[in-house]
Amino acid sequence: MDAQLAATGRPSALAEEDITAVTTYAAPHSLAEAVALLQAGDVTVLAGGTDLMPQSKTGRARFQPLLMNIRRIPELRGIGEVEGYVRFGALTTMTELLDSAMVKTRFNALWQAADHFASDQLRNVATIGGNICNASPAGDTLVPLLVFNARVVLASETNGAVTARALPLVEFFVGPGRTQRRPNELLTAVEVPLPPGGFVSEFYKFGTRPALDIATIAIGLGAMRDGDRLRDVRIAFGAVAPTPIRAPKTEAALEGKSLPASIEAALAAAAADIQPISDLRASAWYRHELVHNVLRRMLEHVSKH
Amino acid sequence: MGTMDKTASGGSLIGKRVPKMDAPEKAGGKTRYIHDIDLPGQLHAKILRSGEVHAKIVSIDPGAARALPGVHAVITAADVSWQRPIGVAKDHLPLKADRVRSPRDEIAAVAAESEEIANAALKLIKVVYEPLPVVVTAEESLKPGATLVHGEDLTVLGPDGKPQVVHKASRDNVAMTFNYGQGDIAEGEAKSDVVVEDVFWLHYVTHCCMGVSGVIAEFDASENLLLYSNTQVPFLHKREFAELLGMDPGRIRIIQPPIGGGFGSKLDIYPFEPIAIYLAKITRRPVKLIFTREEEFMASPTRQPVLLKMRSGCSKDGKLTFRDVETVHDNGAYTSWGATTPFVMMQTISSLYRVPNCNYRTRAIYTNNPYAGSFRGYGNLQATFAVEAHMDKLAEAIGMDPLEFRLINAQIPGEITPQGMHFKSCGFKDCLLTAASRSDYQAKFRAARAKWKDGNQIKRGVGMASMLHVGGGAKIYPSDGCGTIIKIDDFAHVTLITGASEIGQGSETVLAQLACEELGLPLSAVSVVNSDTDIKPWDVGVHASRTTFIAGNSAVGAARKAKSKILGAAAAKFAKPIETLDLRESCVVDKAGGKKLIEIDKLIRSLHFSDKADLVMTTFYYEPPSEKQDKEFRGDVSAAYAWATQVVEVEVDTDTGIVKLLKVTGAHDVGRVINRLGIEGQVEGGVVMGQGYALTENLIVENGVIRNPNFRDYKLVTAPEIPDIDVSFIETMDGEGPQGAKGVGEAPAICIAAAVANGIYNATGVRITALPFTPENVYRALHSNSQPPTWIAAA
Amino acid sequence: MSASIDIAFKLNGIHVRAKVSPAMSVLEMLRDELHLTGSKYGCGEGECGACTINVDGLSVNSCLMFAADCDGREIVTIEGLVSDPRTESLKKSFVAYGAVQCGFCTPGIIMQARHLLEKTQHPTPEQIRRGIEGNLCRCTGYKKIIEAITEASAASP
Repeated sequence: MDAQLAATGRPSALAEEDITAVTTYAAPHSLAEAVALLQAGDVTVLAGGTDLMPQSKTGRARFQPLLMNIRRIPELRGIGEVEGYVRFGALTTMTELLDSAMVKTRFNALWQAADHFASDQLRNVATIGGNICNASPAGDTLVPLLVFNARVVLASETNGAVTARALPLVEFFVGPGRTQRRPNELLTAVEVPLPPGGFVSEFYKFGTRPALDIATIAIGLGAMRDGDRLRDVRIAFGAVAPTPIRAPKTEAALEGKSLPASIEAALAAAAADIQPISDLRASAWYRHELVHNVLRRMLEHVSKH
Repeated sequence: MGTMDKTASGGSLIGKRVPKMDAPEKAGGKTRYIHDIDLPGQLHAKILRSGEVHAKIVSIDPGAARALPGVHAVITAADVSWQRPIGVAKDHLPLKADRVRSPRDEIAAVAAESEEIANAALKLIKVVYEPLPVVVTAEESLKPGATLVHGEDLTVLGPDGKPQVVHKASRDNVAMTFNYGQGDIAEGEAKSDVVVEDVFWLHYVTHCCMGVSGVIAEFDASENLLLYSNTQVPFLHKREFAELLGMDPGRIRIIQPPIGGGFGSKLDIYPFEPIAIYLAKITRRPVKLIFTREEEFMASPTRQPVLLKMRSGCSKDGKLTFRDVETVHDNGAYTSWGATTPFVMMQTISSLYRVPNCNYRTRAIYTNNPYAGSFRGYGNLQATFAVEAHMDKLAEAIGMDPLEFRLINAQIPGEITPQGMHFKSCGFKDCLLTAASRSDYQAKFRAARAKWKDGNQIKRGVGMASMLHVGGGAKIYPSDGCGTIIKIDDFAHVTLITGASEIGQGSETVLAQLACEELGLPLSAVSVVNSDTDIKPWDVGVHASRTTFIAGNSAVGAARKAKSKILGAAAAKFAKPIETLDLRESCVVDKAGGKKLIEIDKLIRSLHFSDKADLVMTTFYYEPPSEKQDKEFRGDVSAAYAWATQVVEVEVDTDTGIVKLLKVTGAHDVGRVINRLGIEGQVEGGVVMGQGYALTENLIVENGVIRNPNFRDYKLVTAPEIPDIDVSFIETMDGEGPQGAKGVGEAPAICIAAAVANGIYNATGVRITALPFTPENVYRALHSNSQPPTWIAAA
Repeated sequence: MSASIDIAFKLNGIHVRAKVSPAMSVLEMLRDELHLTGSKYGCGEGECGACTINVDGLSVNSCLMFAADCDGREIVTIEGLVSDPRTESLKKSFVAYGAVQCGFCTPGIIMQARHLLEKTQHPTPEQIRRGIEGNLCRCTGYKKIIEAITEASAASP
């Protein structure tokens, strides 16, 4: 059973450090100001709020004494190209991803994930940085970002100045809701290398609705075509492991091999790459079946077109 | 869709698309629902719920909560020693005294200056429980030696201060039983060439009204109670609250603010309303109590879950011979209207299609699960699911076309069923034929079967189901009537005061249309007053799809009296026989030829300011010509009955189990369309509610706990998921109904799930007898990884 | 006790000031502090859209937004659109097409529809369905809502 749910039906009791623990509120207008505050310690970061607010109401979020709203920091906005990478500012919203023709053509799987995200009201507010830091195993944008070999940029204050480090996204997730971000760091951007021309990508999120569902499973696929072979294959899964994951065994089964001949081996490898649980949304068995059937469909689709 | 019918000025409004009279205010966000009403000096109330599935209350210490600044009162059962029981079986108290039987159980309540303070106070109340063994299935509950959910008598202090037993202990966890029979089952079975048997499981869903539950209670300076309540039965509740509180019912006034949805959720008294009243009494302040959405999921009644076993048979020439049905109803911890759904279910089992021999038996069993109330359709969805599955199965077993099989057994006008229902107007066959032809049912049915083994993962199919429901009220109470008061002022403005409540279905507009039809006045001349028990006459309540029929006839009766008065005055004034006059286009006219004699308002003023001064004020109470059922459940319980047939087209993705509802073609026998816009809205909304019941909604109850009390994990149908909907209205012009109309509110929700089940079978060859048809459930059934529901051994 | 945050923002065209707690959502501020009850509490979790408002030109669920985040921004609620031509057109269509039954979801859907029509003047029925996928309605089954929005888009300026 889902470990997150209470054993009894006890109505939501607020966690110890609920939002009444907040004694100060800040809305910095620069990155330097923000990292200085983070350096001083005991900060809860607020971006779009679409995860933080419901978690606050149900007592699942633990608040530090300082609530820091980062929405007014200009350095966190914008989509731009830098040295073969596309940089998405942490505050880039799902709607901004959808409105970008560049994202639709060059990062199609990411565009599809944004299109299947929640609802228009949420897409207008939810940020890519928030989606990443919330680190849900079912986080919508995380699967395509893994396919595109994204890296996150984390800023902090060192000796009074803003410094930054980059970390591959695939290393960033530690467990459900847990990342490598240190308490004094702020995620400022996610950078994604421009895929080579001709790179195809697909995203699938299971649900009965176009959006609004939390993924029961999600699959991201990216590759270069070489005749009937696939090269530079990236496969990522969501909601079938404690974090969103790349699927090395599946990728190995497809790398350099012809389609459709390699599909069966890829499906067998996928079963080994994933470790789904049974929870409120689905059983582990069903998740296995879905991954098998949907991945097969996606690969057959790629092999036919 | 498309063009709006233009009403020629003064032309009849009956059958036209008439916009709902309160729609402009609602569209502008100006309507004040109960959540939006604030009374000066009000306190905010919150309820402490047990969170325990089954436990003894060892102690409750509210001390720290009472001491919190801003808290006016913290009450437990100990503070309300004069509590009286509530609910259909009077088997529980609003505030639980020594035992809790489910996590929603109300232990204590706080009234405070703000919601924030009230919530903080709840956390300070210390409760110690001693857990008891839980029973969370009817099967467990029926085993010998099972923990008894109501093992002791419920005792309260009587009005004389002495202990009084208000609910006797149940020694076997059986809350209620129902037994009905017609004909001879053994004989029916002997005459059958084919017999089929299944066990069906109909699951927990809940109303999900968009407006959460709420109440405001206030005692005035003379200790009269004013209750702002979303009750659907204000007069019944007035009387029940009076008994609960030991008050004279005449000193209770209920005001019904506009409601954010009802669907049957507000037909019983649930603990939160008496609790708010207790707090108002104790604090001497108005008390407002509003649920959170989570609380709404946990503490609002569900639809009755049913485990149903059915055997049915037919002869090889296609005639139904018998139906033998047993059900187990999980009654939950306490009894509400869900336990009485057998009244409706047995009607469908015994009379949906002609079946001479029938047995029906229900046992409602106490458990520690959530308890069920009334919900649009009231058991009919569950019964129809079984009946229509077997109609398809029997047809297949004798090799007959399923439409043909249904037509052979469909009743015709004039039939009286063995249960005593008199089908005066009956459009059943028309419904079947219309829905089938408009959906191309027979051809698609055959084509889908031919494709079962074609190797395609995506399969399409069609499914048909019909329903029978009361359409002219339901006489389950000593009176099934409704009163109307009409006054027409000096400017020919009509105030129509009706006992009937409006719950979003548009009753006020239909009543205005009916009055205008009699009085020859435009809709803009009418105001409908319907929300204050001090003002409006008695009506039993809004349920059983009765309002158009009964409140409609009541309004027509009062309007005709007013018309008679006006025409009488005109006849005297113009020295013409009253039969030669009529009211049209706001004037008194010659009936033949239509010559205008005088404007209605002028005529009324001349009547008012005369030496025989009089006003136009009339009243009418309409009691339908139906009967209460006898002890064997026989009787013509409604003044009219209604039918519908729906054909659905589904697409099944066998790789994922996702079932898409592509199209719904419905034919509804509604007697007569009064408001085409309104009736379409009822059908479309009911269809989508039925879609949710069939495919997406599932209240997950495990070990007595609701696992998904939120919209994230309880899936209502959203806009992108709706099917194409094609609706035809069969106008059988019922002789008793107002303008020939019958009720329709529940009908469209009733047969969708049954039709979808048949559609999935037609598409895949796999019959699934348990709801819901969520993707995993369907996938498991398609890939032989699920068990059909099993009947309870102990039953 | 928790912090009190001073904010200044534009609400329906008027400059306003407020003091809010960190926990307070915009929906709570609108309804409980400012007594604007047109935006509704349907779920408090951003799943039903009954609380939809417009912030800096975008439609958002006010139940999910921290009130403190209003500072310096422009908020428009259903009450502020009384004379707005696009909203008037939507209201007229909703009434004429029978898209209102209990009406609880209606202000939120009209807010969302208005935003949709601002972005896409003549949306297809499919775009409308996707556009209101975050708004739940229990009464109408959405069909007449979609028809009303289609009609309003045809009639729109």
